[in-house]
Amino acid sequence: MQLADFLQLTSTSLTAHRLRSVLTALGIAVGIAAVVLLTSIGAGLQRFVVSEFTQFGTNIISVSPGRISTQGVSVGVFGTVRPLTIDDANALARLPHVQMTNPAVSGNAEVAAGGRTRRVMVVGVGASFASAFKLRVPVGSFLPQEDASQARAFAVLGATLRKELFGDANPLGERVEIGGSRYRVIGVLESRGQVLGMDLDDAVYIPAARALELFNREGLMEINVIHDPEADVDAVVESIRRTMIGRHGRDDVTITPQQKMLDVLSSVLGVLTFAVGALGGISLLVGGVGILTIMTISVAERTGEIGLLRALGARRVQILSLFLAEAALLAAVGGLSGLVLGVGLAWLLGLVFPALPVSTPWTYALLAEVIAVAIGIAAGVLPARRAARMDPVEALRAE
Amino acid sequence: MRWHDATRFAWGGLRGFRSRALLMVLSMAIGVGAVVVLTALGEGARGYVVNQFSALGTNLLIVFPGRTETGGTGTGMLVGQTPRDLTLEDALALTRAPGIAAVAPLTIGTALMTYGGRSRETIVLGTSWHWKDIRGVEMQSGSFLPAGDARAATPVCVIGRTVRDELFGSEVAVGRQVRIGDRRYRVIGVMTPHGESLGFNMDEVVIVPVAAAQALFDISTLLRILVEARSRSDIPRAKAQAEAILQERHDGERDVTVVTQDAVLETFDRILRALTLAVGGIAGISLAVSGILVMNVMLIAVSQRRQEIGLLKAVGATRAQIRVLFLIEALLLAMLGAAAGLALGLAGSALIRRLYPALPAYAPSWAIAAALLTAALTAIVFTLLPARRAARLDPVLALSRR
Repeated sequence: MQLADFLQLTSTSLTAHRLRSVLTALGIAVGIAAVVLLTSIGAGLQRFVVSEFTQFGTNIISVSPGRISTQGVSVGVFGTVRPLTIDDANALARLPHVQMTNPAVSGNAEVAAGGRTRRVMVVGVGASFASAFKLRVPVGSFLPQEDASQARAFAVLGATLRKELFGDANPLGERVEIGGSRYRVIGVLESRGQVLGMDLDDAVYIPAARALELFNREGLMEINVIHDPEADVDAVVESIRRTMIGRHGRDDVTITPQQKMLDVLSSVLGVLTFAVGALGGISLLVGGVGILTIMTISVAERTGEIGLLRALGARRVQILSLFLAEAALLAAVGGLSGLVLGVGLAWLLGLVFPALPVSTPWTYALLAEVIAVAIGIAAGVLPARRAARMDPVEALRAE
Repeated sequence: MRWHDATRFAWGGLRGFRSRALLMVLSMAIGVGAVVVLTALGEGARGYVVNQFSALGTNLLIVFPGRTETGGTGTGMLVGQTPRDLTLEDALALTRAPGIAAVAPLTIGTALMTYGGRSRETIVLGTSWHWKDIRGVEMQSGSFLPAGDARAATPVCVIGRTVRDELFGSEVAVGRQVRIGDRRYRVIGVMTPHGESLGFNMDEVVIVPVAAAQALFDISTLLRILVEARSRSDIPRAKAQAEAILQERHDGERDVTVVTQDAVLETFDRILRALTLAVGGIAGISLAVSGILVMNVMLIAVSQRRQEIGLLKAVGATRAQIRVLFLIEALLLAMLGAAAGLALGLAGSALIRRLYPALPAYAPSWAIAAALLTAALTAIVFTLLPARRAARLDPVLALSRR
């Protein structure tokens, strides 16, 4: 049998029962579409979260007080016998490969200006905060570099807070009252929106030393260390650890490189996407059962044809591959249309709900197509073997 | 034609093509089984969370310092940094409210705990003796913090089971002196292993009187105040009273947030319910796929059984009767598939329960009902077209053509 004949035999047997073939392929198509759509949503979510995390850059290492406990959360930020200080932050800034450090402490207080008050997040930061987190200051300037013990009472407003307190008026040079003490506004940050559930715009930024005073607190909540992007993260972490042991006498801080956090997060979301895809795969399995059923029926119907082919000298392998090819073709056609359907639906979903990030992972799509064909072949094996095993005489007599 | 006859006829139709019928039943069973197992898993996760919350104690209210107007929670609120903090006096003032049964202040931190040559970085909780009742703590040996004035910084501590094992090994812990940070405390009790509760392992903590913890960490603030209402119906009243008292104490400013346990639980409940529904729905797609399969096979069956249908019509069967015959066949299939799927699903959930005893994975009855109904409905809907085609056959043509 020549290849052209082989292909013709396979395709005509599919077109002969058009409705039947379409329905069988449809079963696979629905399954593939479900897999593609679900993994698209999953991958979109993953990309969204990663971009949220990396918008400040990936070369950030956070140092927080207290050793990490077995649960993976450090409660040192609530209170510890050995607090992190602004001096610690300054010491870390002198390490090799460290570009800058930022001491951070945050709390909640009432901010009042011009008769209006608003309860917002108060963030105590260093002068390098804006450059460390790539925040632009379109109005005025950020906090100046000065000695922690003599930090002047300057405040930088978030975009939302500025609108709420001052409307369209120029806030520069105005006085605001934060938790009872007076500050002078020297800048307004550009709008950044919600970042991982925290509204950076509805906040006020003041010098860390002032914030410690305001909250009557001894230690920082965190020190952000920005290192050279090219530097070896492990080496930087090691030098931070050595410095902190030197300053505190023992290893009592938790050092978390953002890259590590990102890796963990990515892998968790990756597993989630895979799980959701596998859920959609159940439909694919049912579609496979559909192919099996239809092929079984088809072999039974075409007993005479098979008998004739065998009588004309077709070998068993040829009969086997004929039916296998038919099953694979069905699945491939179904898979392809399912792919188109799934991608189309995902695209439509992204169009209707712009907030929902959708991105089709092509490796998954390709994998789904391969799996569809594999399922088709697997489902075709039993019926095809039954066809190949037929005795030509018996088969022709049945006709 | 009687119902009995019709059913027998449909049954015969299925038995005539046994492998085909079995495959269709299998496809239905996979769909129903998947829905049952997955919703059982979701429901189990929900039950797990609910259990965790009820382990926190009932009728619980939590007072946080700070309040945001935008509705979100900032880190400042969670870690309790505000210009005007919650103080121990605030907590003691709350006990005066009629709707409030007990109040436990809470402050938290980490410190190095040393005994003999061994030391361990532990989580230190500062609270009062009410904590025992509010959180339902049980003692393995010794006693909990002594009742009395919460302002007294008695140098005693109660330790979790893991801390005991790590520091004391096989020694008796109760009565020994330990060093926490730079102070000395006497161990007066060891708590029964309680395990994780909301991601917080109670076996790895050491509990000291709140005043002692405040002295240790050199703070005058509280992280939270846990409040127990007198009864479930008293929760809203207790919440209002707590807010009013704290507002009065804080110069008329409302700068605390009072969260009821129910509100938190409800949020979790809603999220997990939605998740269960979504997962069940995804599994339900496979039922649609099996519906397509049923339709396909039924169409084939109609064309294969032309003569039979022609004969039935020739002896006087109406179109409606033929339609009903095919629909009954589909329904039989669906019922068999659903029953097999249900058995599969229940077995699957039982397996999950055995593998993860913490997860009460029972499929909710609504999910089972929905799965069965969807299976029956898809079978019928997808058979409508083939049944109509069968009913429309012309008896003469159907009989004449071989």
